[in-house]
Amino acid sequence: MTDEHAAKHDATTGTSIDTTVPHSARIWNYWLGGNDNYAVDRKAGDQYREIFPGITVVARTSRGFLTRAVRYLAGEAGMRQFLDIGTGLPTADNTHQVAQRVAPETKIVYVDSDPLVLAHARALLTSSPEGACEYLSADIRNPEGILDTAAGFLDFTRPVALMLMGIMGHFTDDEAYPIVHRLQAGLPSGSYFALYDGADTNEAFNQAQQGYNDSGAVPYHLRSPARFLPFFEGLELVEPGVVPVPHWRPDPDAEPAEIYSYCGVGRKP
Amino acid sequence: MSTDGEPPGDISGPTVPRMILGNQLHRFREAAGISPDRAGYEIRASRSKISRMENGKVGFKERDVADLLDLYGITDDETRGGLMTLARQANAPGWWSKYGGDIMTDWFEEYLGLEAAASVIRAFELQFVHGLFQTEAYARAVTLLGNTGAPGDEIDRRVSLRLKRQDLLTGLRPPQVWAVLDEGALRRPFGGRSVMRGQLNRLIEVSELRHVTIQVVPFSRGGHAAAGGSFTVLRFGDDDVPDVVYIEQLTSALYLDKREDVDHYLEVMNHLSTEALTPAQTPQFLAEIIKET
Repeated sequence: MTDEHAAKHDATTGTSIDTTVPHSARIWNYWLGGNDNYAVDRKAGDQYREIFPGITVVARTSRGFLTRAVRYLAGEAGMRQFLDIGTGLPTADNTHQVAQRVAPETKIVYVDSDPLVLAHARALLTSSPEGACEYLSADIRNPEGILDTAAGFLDFTRPVALMLMGIMGHFTDDEAYPIVHRLQAGLPSGSYFALYDGADTNEAFNQAQQGYNDSGAVPYHLRSPARFLPFFEGLELVEPGVVPVPHWRPDPDAEPAEIYSYCGVGRKP
Repeated sequence: MSTDGEPPGDISGPTVPRMILGNQLHRFREAAGISPDRAGYEIRASRSKISRMENGKVGFKERDVADLLDLYGITDDETRGGLMTLARQANAPGWWSKYGGDIMTDWFEEYLGLEAAASVIRAFELQFVHGLFQTEAYARAVTLLGNTGAPGDEIDRRVSLRLKRQDLLTGLRPPQVWAVLDEGALRRPFGGRSVMRGQLNRLIEVSELRHVTIQVVPFSRGGHAAAGGSFTVLRFGDDDVPDVVYIEQLTSALYLDKREDVDHYLEVMNHLSTEALTPAQTPQFLAEIIKET
């Protein structure tokens, strides 16, 4: 769980937990049925859900995609190193648990800029004895910084699976595409990239999101399905391509779900 | 560490079955639109008995559970079978039941039940090293302090109870224990310097366990959020069972499970966890204190 390297990068522990505005990781935890949320999050979560009841489906199906994608990456694709940026609060089936069930020796670097998320990750997202987890406090707006620091822990001469699960919505296209391409540029050939985000195809979803963004919380922007494609530029898309979240390699017994989010997995040639 | 041949994984006790069964009975009663008085009448008991049952505070007679399920119109065999199994588990005595009433109060017994049933235990300790991490010598020193004049045999049993609790850490499915310790808890040399050095070394050892996280709040990060003192937040595997805050007082304990109360303590605990040294920084800090102790 610990190494010298971690101590160095842990040196600055932020203490800026704002409990007066809804917090994206805590509200997400609420929609997933967890207990790591405060009254302000539950109130905002309920208001959101009144306008767009489908948000609990979004929360559940996108966790389902994370599980299936990590299972594919650790299994069929043989990935043994993961870089998971935008970790969120612990829930059932976190990245390292899914990956290490397939291959216990897998190494995972969790990256987040939120002190609350990092404190939980360090305490509760602990690795199997055979593998390892590391936790970085870093801002995704500095992709090279993340890659440099992660290189102290992952072997960047071997493939790495990069995961951006539901976080690029926090950026406009002009910001988001360069961030993603710069992260991909630092990965060796044979690496993989997985992403999902919310789509703007449902009017109630758009409305609820607008209300949330106006509340003073860190805003999140829904994208049209076409605007997901540039994230995968230059990569070989894994079948079935960029698709609605429930359609990406569904489990055989999966029930049909409404479409609110899009996702994809690509391989760097 | 197990001393009586009991399988180490089988120490969870009746508390969670009680909470889950109580929660279910509450939901079925509400869904059937039946008042606590009417339900109490059905099983020849008071409305407050129904409330204690639904809050998971007491054991259950199987006949009472069966009568209530009839009253609530629950006829599905599978559902009934599952709940009757819970009722049996809810009546099984915990491992702590064999300790004498002179050292085992009801309020502490309740805590042991919750602790053994928890999936995550988050503790803030201002004064003492947490009971789950204490060495025998340290446990003896703080027990003597709290029970001056007690006969040696009683002290022995109290210490043995405290150490027995630690079987939880080596059981088959240990909870995740996430403790934040104030530097003060590490500086006060209970039992003398050598006992304290042993205790600090023990903290470094347990922090290496996968499911144990220890963070220290150094004096240099003073003015932290836990103005009130030590407390523990217990979380259970089932999201529908609410978190419980445990605050020990001199002659009793407080258990809070109302969402507003829990929120407040969770917020303080989160502040402390982000202010404290990280788990990776903590062992080195402990090693420095050992040198100065």
